[in-house]
Amino acid sequence: MRSASAYVWADSPLHRMPASAKFAGFATAVVLVVLASTPDQLAVATAAVVALVAVSRVGWARAGHALWGLRWFLLAVLVLNAVFFSSADPVLELGPARLTWEGVAQGVRVVVRTALIVVLGSLLTATTRPQQITDGVRTLLRPLARLGVPTEAAALAVGVTMQFVPTLLRESRLLARAQALRCGDFAACGIMHGAVSYVRLLVPVFVSAFRRADELSAAMEARGYRVSSRPARPRERKRP
Amino acid sequence: MTPVKRVVITATCAALGIVLPMAFHALPGAGNVWLPMHIPVLVCGLVAGPASGLAAGLLAPVLSSLLTGMPPAPLLPSMTFELMTYGLVSGLLCARVRTGRLALDLYVSLVGAMICGRLVSGALQALIFSAGSYSLAAWVTGSFVTALPGIVLQLVVVVPVAAALERAGLVEPRYPDAR
Repeated sequence: MRSASAYVWADSPLHRMPASAKFAGFATAVVLVVLASTPDQLAVATAAVVALVAVSRVGWARAGHALWGLRWFLLAVLVLNAVFFSSADPVLELGPARLTWEGVAQGVRVVVRTALIVVLGSLLTATTRPQQITDGVRTLLRPLARLGVPTEAAALAVGVTMQFVPTLLRESRLLARAQALRCGDFAACGIMHGAVSYVRLLVPVFVSAFRRADELSAAMEARGYRVSSRPARPRERKRP
Repeated sequence: MTPVKRVVITATCAALGIVLPMAFHALPGAGNVWLPMHIPVLVCGLVAGPASGLAAGLLAPVLSSLLTGMPPAPLLPSMTFELMTYGLVSGLLCARVRTGRLALDLYVSLVGAMICGRLVSGALQALIFSAGSYSLAAWVTGSFVTALPGIVLQLVVVVPVAAALERAGLVEPRYPDAR
């Protein structure tokens, strides 16, 4: 089970940068990586991401950790592109599968792009605390309030989600352990047995999570917290 | 349901959409086969309405991608639209379908959302995200064959979860007079 907290304590320019600027930079970088198609462009993008990892001081292992989890997915993407992308000039032919250099090049392009985007995402969460992510979302969404988007509710939802993830993860672990003690380890008992245990576990996990949500919303309302169905006007916000 | 509770329930379902794929990854191929992220989004639409379902469908994959790297960024847009459709349609159908029987209402809404989500996902893949390289066979395989255990799981789990939440008094009863 992976940890929900991806933040790495360090002091770097990326750690000090405002979360909203990091979000905007991340979005721009993803677009540039997706648009990169020639080997030169991909090499420049790779060099830029490597430089960012070095500047961030989160460590190479931490920056590439998510890639290791995706190794089989990336390998499958490479192989599928290599044998199915093109049928011209096959190097090797086996039934409908045709291995071509063009397919290999396309596979490498897709894998490099995916890997760069994954590393960028890891850098974003490794250098930004959950609370900063919430504040960044609130800052970025603020202009949408003029269009009638309930930005305060959206920021509240993001904040509560970020806060609930570790709590619910801990609780689901406890429930899974309790069930494993009663019924045996469901990961080691085959797919069907595992699925049945999974189903049995879901109802208590949901009821427990909704009970927490019920308590939290009651506590917030008791303290006078209100979510307006329409966005507040600037004049209303200034009122004490 | 008050607006604060609706927002908190949306956030809880989004958090469950992040936690369930992490917590149950011990099952083989949990992501593509068992579709654990779909379940809280569908439940959210059914118990909290279309706007909450839509928001949970947006928040769960985006925040999960940021926090855990799954789904990977290239798969994120199509998956986000698919999940948003599940949440939106399940909420819309649940608000309109009134047969007088809770389980039947929920199943009609659930199946309608499951079909609409897969249609939207296929259309977006064919027209935008994999334009030119996406076929009907790939859509059927990805949406119905590989995901068959996940479909069965959703049919088995979502309605009992929604009913259990109502029985526990954690969401508003659909037919208060029937109690």
